Amino acid sequence: MPEWYGSFGGAYVPETLVPALKALEEAWRTARRDPAFKAELARLSREWGGRPTPLYFAENLTREIGGAQIYLKREDLVHGGAHKFNNALGQALLAKRLGKTRLIAETGAGQHGVATAMVGAKLALRTEVYMGSVDMERQKPNVLRMRLLGATVRPVDHGAKTLKEAINEAFRDWITNVQTTYYLIGSAVGPHPFPSIVSDFQSVIGKEILRQSKQAWGGHPDLVVACVGGGSNAIGTFQPMLRTPVKLLGVEAGGSGSSLAVGSASLTKGRPGVLQGMRTYLLQDAEGQVLETESIAAGLDYAGVGPEHAFLKESGRVEYTSVTDREALDAFHRLCRAEGILPALEPSHALAEAMRRARDLPKTARIVVTLSGRGDKDLEVVAQHAPPG
Amino acid sequence: MPHLGETLAARRRSKQSSLLVYMMAGSVPEERFLSTVDALKTAGVTGLELGFPFSDPMAEGPVIQQAATDALRQGFHWPDLLRLLSACSQRLPCAVMTYLNPVLQRGEARAFEEMHGAGGSALILPDLPVEAAGPFRALRRKEKVDTVLLASPATTPDRLSLLVRRTEGFLYLVSRYGTTGAGEGTTPSTQGKEGDLGPLIARAHELRPDLPVLVGFGVRSREDVERHRTSGADGVIVGSAVQTRLSAGRSPEEIGAFVASLLG
Ligand SMILES: Cc1ncc(COP(=O)(O)O)c(C=O)c1O
Repeated sequence: MPEWYGSFGGAYVPETLVPALKALEEAWRTARRDPAFKAELARLSREWGGRPTPLYFAENLTREIGGAQIYLKREDLVHGGAHKFNNALGQALLAKRLGKTRLIAETGAGQHGVATAMVGAKLALRTEVYMGSVDMERQKPNVLRMRLLGATVRPVDHGAKTLKEAINEAFRDWITNVQTTYYLIGSAVGPHPFPSIVSDFQSVIGKEILRQSKQAWGGHPDLVVACVGGGSNAIGTFQPMLRTPVKLLGVEAGGSGSSLAVGSASLTKGRPGVLQGMRTYLLQDAEGQVLETESIAAGLDYAGVGPEHAFLKESGRVEYTSVTDREALDAFHRLCRAEGILPALEPSHALAEAMRRARDLPKTARIVVTLSGRGDKDLEVVAQHAPPG
Repeated sequence: MPHLGETLAARRRSKQSSLLVYMMAGSVPEERFLSTVDALKTAGVTGLELGFPFSDPMAEGPVIQQAATDALRQGFHWPDLLRLLSACSQRLPCAVMTYLNPVLQRGEARAFEEMHGAGGSALILPDLPVEAAGPFRALRRKEKVDTVLLASPATTPDRLSLLVRRTEGFLYLVSRYGTTGAGEGTTPSTQGKEGDLGPLIARAHELRPDLPVLVGFGVRSREDVERHRTSGADGVIVGSAVQTRLSAGRSPEEIGAFVASLLG
């Protein structure tokens, strides 16, 4: 389990958290080799979570675009409506193993909060979720879902009142209650060992894609595309493919796309620094103050990114680019009409870029897009914007 | 002004207890800040910790978070810190306390040179683990700026001996599970449990008899100060309790009187 990805990663945390992080690393080291743990995770993923998810050929969309074949990895069909389930379940089982009685989490889009609330209910762990008040407003249905599932939602009112501030508040809670509490972080971010644990639990996505593409056409995809917020669905998709010839593409949120705005594109517009326990690419000013970000997709609206992505960018193994709010919205509508699938705004970013690339590729090429979640949470936001002409 | 670490060590040798005050630089106008420093000096404070604001202060409770937000909103920058540090260090021995990223972006070597030039004699970074402190410690030879490490009630005996060996100037012992400030939380979480500090302090002194151990986080009353002294600490650090008063516009005299009351 790597602590460093090149010069990225590490565990830059207050001393109070160091023993808890070491205990977590040890618990994961033994759990991942424990057949009983693996069997329980597999059973719940299958029976409760609905895994494996399909690899779906988007035939109509492919025909409309007239280029490469577009396949969707249907993480929107996992229990709870997003890939966040994979990580929340795995980590909650670890929390049980560590004897913790209380879960805390941060959430941006609310999907990770919902997933944590679900596993909290199922495994009888008291659950509290920190969420920026701006995100609570724009992802209302998920606030309601968390509450129905028995979790307490704690509004965070500092700074931009979005994901980064929710993570800060979750860390402050953890520093205080670390003896009883497990911090179930929602993306491949934070101090070691979180990025590698999250990556491990999400790598089921990439493993299934490889198996399913082998079954479907006897090979692997030519191009695989995923959206990058903190980077968990993307790293879960890419991780098992790093040593294959598949071309990998991560898509960040470009925000409004105005020339002054940085959006939330840490990898494409940021520089290395230390935030929330990790050395990674950050959107920051010259003095290292972290900038306020913007994106139509709450789940991508974050100034940092998982350290493994920072490394994969520098090594050149993965290409990263960004897509604007408008392009993501257009892709959202396109998928609704063409395939009868209502995607979340986060993977709509990946879809927008995949459609662009498909046009320039031959009809024999195959692109897989990780459709990380469904869009029911986004209806209000989408309704506030003009539909495409 | 004398070096903070040397001052604390001398006071430990002569069995005098120390008190450091933390205030967020840039949270109030410079004139009032400096008058407050004068009042603190008169009240008998041993040294100052100047906070430099960071956008994401993970270990901070609401009072210091707000002070950082105020300072950033007023456009307080690193050169402003150096100016204030120059003025403060003529009055009392001074440390700078901030987070890792602002120092990294300035460049460690440059930041140390500048702090030294402004009379600062220690740097405290709550998110710098001992494992990553090497490059900072290496700079001490040149600039005489100590890198102060923090221990906490969660620290295991093995780790404590590592921290005691590697810290410079003094050991900053965090009193509790929790953030800075006590009980003024926006979340139910900020009421952390205080650790049993006596054994940790005794062990630190056993390992390094000349090392001052100062206790901070949540110190706000005469009883707190007494309790920590009784458990063997060489002194205390008062942050949020002073910052609350500073941010609320209390006069330098009032703040001086408050700190004098802590000293007894
Ligand atoms: C559906 C969906 N996709 C993607 C993300 C972005 O997170 P990550 O980059 O960790 O996959 C989120 C985050 O909330 C999400 O809800």
